[in-house]
Amino acid sequence: MATCETVRDTIYTATRLLDDQKWNDWLSLCDESFQYSITSWSPEINYDMTYLAASKKDLHHLVDLLPKHNTDHSPLHRHTTVYSVTPSDDGKTATAVSSVIIFQNMLDGTNSHIDAGESRLFLIGRYFDTLNVENGKPVFLKRELKLDNRRLDKGSHWPL
Amino acid sequence: MAARTHDQWTAKPPLQQGEWIDSRCYSDQEIFEEENEKIFKNTWIPVCHESELSKPYDFRTTSIAREPIIICRGPDNQVRAFLNVCPHRGMMIERRPSGSFLEGQPSGNPKRMTCMFHGWQFDMKGGCVYVSREKEGYQDRLCKDDVGLRRLRCEVKFGGFVWVNLNDKAADLESWAGKPFECLRKTLDAEPLEVFHYHKAIVDTNYKLWHDTNAEFYHDFMHYHNRVTGFNDAYFARKNEAFDNGHVVVGTFEVNYDKYEGFESRAALSFPHLPPNQWYMIDLFPGINFNLRGSALRCDVVTPLGPNKTMIEFRGLGLKSDSKEDRMTRINHHNSIWGPFGRNLHEDLIGVQGQGNTMQPGAEPRRVLHGRQENQTIHDENGMRHYYDEWGRWLNRLPSSPDKPYSAPAAVTTAAE
Repeated sequence: MATCETVRDTIYTATRLLDDQKWNDWLSLCDESFQYSITSWSPEINYDMTYLAASKKDLHHLVDLLPKHNTDHSPLHRHTTVYSVTPSDDGKTATAVSSVIIFQNMLDGTNSHIDAGESRLFLIGRYFDTLNVENGKPVFLKRELKLDNRRLDKGSHWPL
Repeated sequence: MAARTHDQWTAKPPLQQGEWIDSRCYSDQEIFEEENEKIFKNTWIPVCHESELSKPYDFRTTSIAREPIIICRGPDNQVRAFLNVCPHRGMMIERRPSGSFLEGQPSGNPKRMTCMFHGWQFDMKGGCVYVSREKEGYQDRLCKDDVGLRRLRCEVKFGGFVWVNLNDKAADLESWAGKPFECLRKTLDAEPLEVFHYHKAIVDTNYKLWHDTNAEFYHDFMHYHNRVTGFNDAYFARKNEAFDNGHVVVGTFEVNYDKYEGFESRAALSFPHLPPNQWYMIDLFPGINFNLRGSALRCDVVTPLGPNKTMIEFRGLGLKSDSKEDRMTRINHHNSIWGPFGRNLHEDLIGVQGQGNTMQPGAEPRRVLHGRQENQTIHDENGMRHYYDEWGRWLNRLPSSPDKPYSAPAAVTTAAE
């Protein structure tokens, strides 16, 4: 049960760090072998799509280069609920499934004079996480954010 | 010059007719309705790709100019398109985006398109095969032969895209778009393609502003990725070539993808018959874009929803023969730039939404400049000038003054210049 508790805490800590755009602090919760992906099933094309796939190194490049890119400034707010934590039989890893709802708190919007300050539903989906729990301090080995959305409007430059 | 007064701001720019347009072209409700009626109901639109309905009885639904459309693959493997409208009382026959008619439905049999409302059934050629209580209700006054679906012109072409035209009398697809596709015809038709990516954006902007962004590359200053991977002599020598019917092709050059930290060359997965890391773009009137960057093909299709609201559907394609590993590499190449979480698409969408915000219906009409002249190379705006000349002809409106009838501008780049 202690493992389940620490895994939940780690997922919630990751949510908070992502909300706060502390990208490197979030990545410090991830193993060097960490694999991240955003996926979605498309009934339109009958295909399991991958919208983004990145290693930890790729993610470092991605966040390091963010200041060079023009990005919507509206902060994201993730509401995460951990549904289940399942330790592996050998006790070395655990998998977790969480529901995630991502709101966009408008700063830019279409017209910031009108939209700023409003929160809009941006994305919904589930996190499928695998964590190493060997040392009592869980670290992410893998995260798949499986989105329900295929309508993504402006999208985002940020890890979700 | 300092900031300008209102009179200076709204004065004609010191450019020739054809080198600017009036922003009402992007914001006027009457013009929007005319575009649907005169342009979108009469031009070829690639509504999906054949790989989206790969098996007999597979279907896809879509719409053009508010007309609901169903595309299905028959048992004879032919792809056909129909209005997705029951001839009885106008119910939409199929409500899902995709699926298979091999399965029966609550109101109907397998292998039939069934209107759930009153159970009328149609075969994959659009023929009516069942009218519930036909004789009791219609006696001999109306029979199944009288109530087939409305068939639409449909062709599978240019890499397996499914093209539909609502006008039975429009020119054939080859005449409409064959010439701009010459640069990629051999590549796209070398072997079957497959869609691996789909997403849509609904943004508060006019559809032409999205097409403009795809047709002008001066906005590469917005994209850090394109500046570091592209800006060199070969890039600035790329030509915009105008074709009949308002289409434009942007010529290719070799992109240095590995100049962007964390990205890699795409040479190993170049499309057939292309040198490594090439980048071709075909912009078709009125709002379709084919964009081949080395290892992945992207296709954008716009559906105008209002003068200031546009749906853009984005597709990514690779070769059907891809190994699992190659496919994943292509997907990553596609998404790193063009995915919803990629580096460039987000910037492009912010750009056109910003334009849409300043050109809402009722906003002050102003001049939008299309006047860069750089020998028809990449930062020349001849692509947009060519497009708006065609647009003016279709609507009989002068883009720089849309209340006036069309007249040929002096500064437009015409086809085959």
